[in-house]
Amino acid sequence: MAHPVSRTYRMAQAALFAVLVALAPVPTASAQQKPAQAQEETPTQKLWNEAEKLLAERKYPAALERFQQLEKDADKAGLPAEAKAAIAFRQASCLYLIAGQSKLGSDWTKVEVALQKFLQNHPQGTGTLLDATNNMRGPARLSLVEAYAYQSKWDEALRDLDALRKPSPETREEDRVLAFVMTAKILELRAKGRSPEELKQALGQSMNLLKQVIAGGMGTPERREAALKLVEVYASLGMAKEAEQLRAEIEAKGVGSPAELVRANAQRLEIGDARFQTAEAEPEPKAREELYRQALSSYQGTLRRAALSRALVLAVESRQQEVDRLVRAYAKPTPEQQAAIDKAKEQLDEVSKLQTEFGGNKDYDAVISYRIGLCLLELNRPWEAFVAFRDIFQNSPGFEKISGAYYYYIDALRRIGRTEEALKVSKEFLQKYPDSAEAGPIALGLGEIRMEQEEFEQAIAEFKWAKANAKGLDPAAVQEIDFGIVRALFSNVDWAKARVALEEFLQKYPSTPAKESAVYMLGLTYFFEGNYPETVGNKDKPGALVRYYKEFPNGQHKADVLYRLGVVSLNIATDTLFQQGVLEKDIRGPDGAIAIARLWLSRHGNAKDEASVTQLPEVHTLIADAHAKKGEAFGRQAEELDKKVRTTAAPAAKQALLAQQRQAEAAKAEQVKASIDAYIQAARTAKANPAALEFALGEATKLLGGRGEHARIRDLYQELHDWDPAAPKATVYLYEVVKATEKMGDSPEFRVRTERAQAEFGERLRLARERIDGLERAGKFNTPELATAKADLARLSEELAKALEVIEADRQKAVQAARQEALGVLSKAIAASIDNRKQEGSERLLGFLAEKLARRIKRVRPGQEPAPGAYTLKAAMADLDAALGVREGSGTLIAQARRLYAQAQLALLGRDPAQAEALWRRIADLYKPEELSPAILGTVGEHLLSKRDPRAEAFLSYIAEFHRSSDYADFGFAGLAELRLAQGKPKDALTLCEEAVDLGIVMSREKDIRFAKARALIDLGKYDEAKKELVFISGVREWRGETTSGCLYHLAVIEEKQGRLQEAVVLHQRNIVAWKRHERWVAKSYLASADLLAKLGQRDAARQTLQEMLSKDRVKDTPEAQEARSRLTRL
Amino acid sequence: MRHALALCLVGLAAAAPAQVLVFRNNERWEVNNPLALDDKGKPVPPDAKRAKFNATFDKVERVSRAGGAEFTASKRLEEVVGIEWPAIAQLRTAKEEISRGNATRALELAESVLRVFDKAKKVPGSPWIAAAIVKLDAIDRLDNDAALAAFLSALETVDDGSNAELRQKVQVAKLIQKARRGDHAGVIADADGLIASLDSADTLARLHILKGASLLVLRRYEEAMNTYLRVPVFYGSQQEHLPKALLGAAKAFRGMDSPALKSQRLGEVANRYLRELVATYPVSAEAEEAKALLPKEEREAAIQEQTAIKDAVVAPAETGGE
Repeated sequence: MAHPVSRTYRMAQAALFAVLVALAPVPTASAQQKPAQAQEETPTQKLWNEAEKLLAERKYPAALERFQQLEKDADKAGLPAEAKAAIAFRQASCLYLIAGQSKLGSDWTKVEVALQKFLQNHPQGTGTLLDATNNMRGPARLSLVEAYAYQSKWDEALRDLDALRKPSPETREEDRVLAFVMTAKILELRAKGRSPEELKQALGQSMNLLKQVIAGGMGTPERREAALKLVEVYASLGMAKEAEQLRAEIEAKGVGSPAELVRANAQRLEIGDARFQTAEAEPEPKAREELYRQALSSYQGTLRRAALSRALVLAVESRQQEVDRLVRAYAKPTPEQQAAIDKAKEQLDEVSKLQTEFGGNKDYDAVISYRIGLCLLELNRPWEAFVAFRDIFQNSPGFEKISGAYYYYIDALRRIGRTEEALKVSKEFLQKYPDSAEAGPIALGLGEIRMEQEEFEQAIAEFKWAKANAKGLDPAAVQEIDFGIVRALFSNVDWAKARVALEEFLQKYPSTPAKESAVYMLGLTYFFEGNYPETVGNKDKPGALVRYYKEFPNGQHKADVLYRLGVVSLNIATDTLFQQGVLEKDIRGPDGAIAIARLWLSRHGNAKDEASVTQLPEVHTLIADAHAKKGEAFGRQAEELDKKVRTTAAPAAKQALLAQQRQAEAAKAEQVKASIDAYIQAARTAKANPAALEFALGEATKLLGGRGEHARIRDLYQELHDWDPAAPKATVYLYEVVKATEKMGDSPEFRVRTERAQAEFGERLRLARERIDGLERAGKFNTPELATAKADLARLSEELAKALEVIEADRQKAVQAARQEALGVLSKAIAASIDNRKQEGSERLLGFLAEKLARRIKRVRPGQEPAPGAYTLKAAMADLDAALGVREGSGTLIAQARRLYAQAQLALLGRDPAQAEALWRRIADLYKPEELSPAILGTVGEHLLSKRDPRAEAFLSYIAEFHRSSDYADFGFAGLAELRLAQGKPKDALTLCEEAVDLGIVMSREKDIRFAKARALIDLGKYDEAKKELVFISGVREWRGETTSGCLYHLAVIEEKQGRLQEAVVLHQRNIVAWKRHERWVAKSYLASADLLAKLGQRDAARQTLQEMLSKDRVKDTPEAQEARSRLTRL
Repeated sequence: MRHALALCLVGLAAAAPAQVLVFRNNERWEVNNPLALDDKGKPVPPDAKRAKFNATFDKVERVSRAGGAEFTASKRLEEVVGIEWPAIAQLRTAKEEISRGNATRALELAESVLRVFDKAKKVPGSPWIAAAIVKLDAIDRLDNDAALAAFLSALETVDDGSNAELRQKVQVAKLIQKARRGDHAGVIADADGLIASLDSADTLARLHILKGASLLVLRRYEEAMNTYLRVPVFYGSQQEHLPKALLGAAKAFRGMDSPALKSQRLGEVANRYLRELVATYPVSAEAEEAKALLPKEEREAAIQEQTAIKDAVVAPAETGGE
C-alpha cells in the first residue's frame, strides 16, 4: 500500500505544529482506490476502509473508534505485524489530529502515549504497508517530539531530536533533516518569553544547526525548508545580507519542476487554511495568535497569480516537449515505449487541465489577499489588514467574496479610526451589494458609526438610507435598524418624535428583545421633557418609568429608573410613588427624593457596574439638591418671620417670633451643610461622570466659597487633581487648589478679630468721646479734666490702631504663609510632571508659576534702583528655583531645560527680555532637540529663527517631524517655512505651508503659515494665488496688526511685479497711513513707494515720501531709513 | 567536521565537469578554465589536453600531437554557439562580497568573468549574463551613477529580453538611477508599470520600497504608507526587505500625523513600527535609523532590550553535527 500523502505529510512536518493536519484529506485517494478490492474484502478490510474513509472526512473520533476496534480484532483476524503497526500508527494519527483541534494538554499526553506504544511495540514500523519507502517510525518519532513540545517537555523533545539527528541506517535522510529543522524551531520556542539573551542564544543555535543541514545542499524539499527557515533566523538576528544571499541561493537552485512548484504552492495554501481553521477553534489567545501568524506566513509564501501562471506555462511547455521527444524518438513504438508516450501525454493533459482550471480562477490573488487580511485582522494589525483588503478592491473588484472583503475592510477602517471613510465605504457597499449576507451588519454599522460620533441626525439618515437601500435585510436586521432609528431620535433629544417612534416600535414589535429598553426610553422621553406627572403617572395608569420599575425588577436600567423617580419626587409632591409601591411610606417632595436616593444607595451604592458607578454622583447630587430645596424653604420661612418680627411690637410675641426665626435659620444652615456634604460626596464619586462632576463641583465651590471654607475647597480640588495628575483637566484643578490655598491666608478669623476689636474699642471710644463732649458742653475748656479725657481718647485710639495693626500683621503673615503654601502646591505638581517630556501641561504650569512670582515683583522705572528689601526679579528667580526644586546641573535633562524655560518666562514677565533671550540661547546651547518638549522647542526655535541662528532649523524640524499632533506642531512648519524663504527656497517653503494647511497643522501659527505661503507664491510668480491668500489673511479680524501691514505691502509688491506701478503706490500709501505703528512693513512701503514714484517720474513726490519717512520716530532708525537717506541724496 | 568537509570538496573537485565550448559545426572543445584558481589563489596550470584561451580572450587554441609533431588549431570565440560551464567560484564570491558590503571587490571579480566571455555574451550558457547581473548589483551598491549609467547602456545592447532576471535587474537599476536624479514622479509611474508586469516576489518587494521612498520624498504620505505596507503584507516572506519597508511605513505614518488625525494616534503607530523593527531586526542598518527616529524615552527602552546579537551566536552544546 503506497502512502499517498507522503509529500504533503513531509511538507507539513517541516512546518512544526501542523504535522498531521495535512494527512487527513489524503486518504480519500486511498479510499477511492479501494472499490476494486471491495468485492473480496474481509470484515477487517471493510472496517479498515471505513476507518480510512472517516479519517479522510476528518471525522477523527469515529475513525479512532474503528482503528481501536481493528486493534482488538487484530489477533483474532490473524493480522501480520505490519498491519498491526499500521493500525497503531493510524490510531496515533487520529489522536494527533484530535489534539491538534482541541490543543488540550491531556490530548497531547494521549498522543504521546500512543506514539510511544507504536514505537515500542513495532520496531519494524509499518514496513512497506503504508508506504513502500517509509515504515513510519521516523514520522512517529517526529510527531512524538511535537507532542512533547505541545506539553512544553522541551528536554524530552530535544533528547529525541538529538537521537534523530545522528546518522543511522534506521533513520531516513528526510526525517533526519526534519529533525534538524524541528530542533531549531524547538530551541526558539523554548526561548520565547525568556530573556533577550536566551532568545539570542537560541537563534544562534538554530542558525548553526540549519547551516549544518544546508551545507549538505538544498536538493530536497526538506533541505530547502531548512534553508528557508535559516533565512528567517538570519533575518531575526538582523543578518539581512546573509538572509538575502541565502534566499538568492535558494531561488537560484530552483525548487524543482514547474509542476512541482504549482503543487508546492497548493500545499502552502492548504497548510495555511489548516492553520487558520485550527486558530479559529483555538480558545487560548496566545496559541491562537501563533496559529494565525503561521497561517499568515503560509499565505504570504504562496505565489501570486502572475508567477503561478508563468510556472504553469513552463510546466505545459516542458510536458509538451517531453511528449514531442518521445513521439519523435519512437516512430514505431514498442508496447513499453507506447506506454511511456501515453504516460507523458497523460501528464501533459493533467498539467494542461490544471492550467485551464487556474485560468478560470480569476479570484486566486484576491483569495490570498482576503486570507492575509483576515489573519492580519485577527493578529490585531488593522493597518496591514486595511492594505490587504484595499488590494482586493483595486485589483480584483469582481472577487466572489467581495462583500466579505468589504465587511472586514470596514472593520479595519473603524479600528484604525477612519470612521468617515468607513461610512463612505459602507454606503458604497450597500449600494453595490444590497442583497449580500453582510448587508444587515454593515447597514447597522453605518448608523452606529454616526451614533458613536454623536451625529444623531446623520445616524437617523444612515439607518433610513440603509433600510431603503439594503434590499436583502432579514427581519431581525430590519428590527435592529428600526430600533437604531428610535435610539438616534432619543439620543438627539427629540423627545416628541422619539416618543411616537417608541410607541410605534412597541406596537410593531410587541415581543421585541428590545422591549425593556424601549419602555425605559419611553419613560425617559417624559422625564427629560420635565413632564413629571406623565413620567410617574397615577394610581390607575402608571407612567412608563413606574411600569418599568414594576415589570422589570431585575432590568438593566433598574438603578437609573429608581434614581429618575427620586428626581420626580424632588420636583412634584406625588403620592403615586407610594401607591405604586416604590416608597414604603407616603413621603413626598424633597423628603421622598432623599428616601429614594437612600434606597438607591443601599441597593446599588456598592455596585461596580459602569452604569451604577456613573450614576452614583448623580444620586448624591439628588440628595444635595433635595437638602438645598429644603434649606430654601427654611430660608423663605425665616424671611417671613423676619418680616413679622419687624412688624410685631409686643416684646413677648416678638421674642417668640425671633426664636422661631432662629430655629428656621438653624434648620436652613443644617440643610445647607447637608447639601454641601452631598455635593462634595457627588464630586468625589464622579470620576467616571464628568458632567455630574462639573455640576457638583460648581455647586460645592459656590457654597463653600460663600462660607469662606477655602480649606475644604482646596482639599476637594486636590483630591480631584490626584486622580490623574497627567490628565489635561488636572491643571485646572491645580489652579483651583492654588487659588483656594491663597485665599485660606485671608481667613474669616481676621475679620472676626477686627470686628471684635472694633466693637470692644468702639464702646470705650464712644464713652471717651461722650465724656469730652460733656465736658465741652459744660464749658470746661482748658481744664486738666478735659485734657485727661482727650488724652484718654487718644490713647484708646492708639490702642485700637495697635490692636488692628497686630491683626493686620497676623493676616499678612497668614496670607504670606498661604501664598507660600500655594507655591508649594504648584511646586509639587510641577515636580510630578517636570521629568516627563511628553507632558505638555508642564509648561503651562511653569507659566502659571512664573506669573504668580512676577506679580510680586516691585516695578521700577528704567534706570531706577529698587527700594532696599523690595521684591526683585532676582528674588523671584531664587523663589522659582526653590519652587521647582531643580538646581543648576541637577535633575533630568528635560527638568533642567524646563527650569531655564520657566526662568525665561519669568524674565519676560519681569520685563527683562534680554535675560529671557539669553536663557533661550542657553537652552539651545545645552540641549539637543530630542531632549526637549514641543513647547520649549517651539519657543526656542522661534527665538533662534528671529536671531538667524542656524540651529533654528534643527529645533523647528524636530517639531515638524516628531510632534505633528502636538499643540505646537505649527511652530515647526511656520518657522521652517520662514527659514526656507530666507534661504531663497520658496518652493520648499510652499511645500511646507501646503503640507501644514492640508494636514490641518495650523493652530496659533496659522497666520504665519499662510503669510509665508503667500510670500512663497509671490517668489514663484504665482501672483493670483498669493493675492488670494493675502486677502484672506487681511480679512481675518483676529489677525489684524503687523501681518495685515505685511499683507498690504506684499499686495503692492504683486501689483509692481505685474507692472501696475500706480496701483502699487496706492497700496503702499494705504499701508503707511493705516499701519503706522508697524514700522517693519511701513518702512518698506515708504522706500518702495519712493522708488515707484521715481520710476513713474514723480521725483518730487518721491523725495517728499522719503523725507516724511525720515521724520517718523518709529521709522527713522530702521535699516530701510538708512537706505532712504542714501537715496534722498540721489534724488 | 572540517576534515570531512575538505574531503567532500576534494571529491567534488575531482568530479567537476569540464568546460566545453560548442562550435557551429557541432564540434565540442573542452577548454581550460582561465578563471580556475588553486588553494593558494594562484591560476591552475593549464591541462595540455584541453584548449586554451588566448590572452585577449577572442580565440581558443588547441594543440594536438601526431607523429611527434604538434599541431595548433584555433577558433574564434564568435564561432561559439553553445557554452557548457560549471558554476564560477568568482561569481559566488562576488555575491558574497556584495552582501558583506565589499562592492569594489565584487566588481573586480565580476569584471574578470566578463572579460573572458566578452566575445560570447549572447551565446546560450554563457556566464557573461550572470556576471553582468553581479556587476550591476555591485555598481548599484557603489552608488556610482556614472558607472551605472555606462554599464546600463552597454547592457541595453545585449539585453534582448530573453533573460528575465537580467531584464528585471536592469529595470530596477534604471529606477534607482531615476530616484537618484530626483525624478520621483517618474519612479512612481515606472514602478507601477513594473509592479503590474513582474512576478518575482523579491523584485516586487524592491520596487515597492523604491516607490514608497519616492512617495515619501513627494510627501504623499498616505500612498507611501500603502506602498510600504504592501511589503510586510504581501511579501512578508521576503524578510530581507522588511526592515526597509517597516522603516518607510513608520516614516509615512509620521508624515500623515496631524492634530486633525490625533485620534488615529499615528505618531504611536509610527513608533510601534519602529520598535518592531528594532526588536525584530536588531542589527540591521534600518534598526539604527529607527532608533534615531524613536523618541528618546522609547529609544532608550528599545536599546535596553536590544543586545549585540551577532556576537552571541553560540554553538549548541547538546546537539551533534551533521
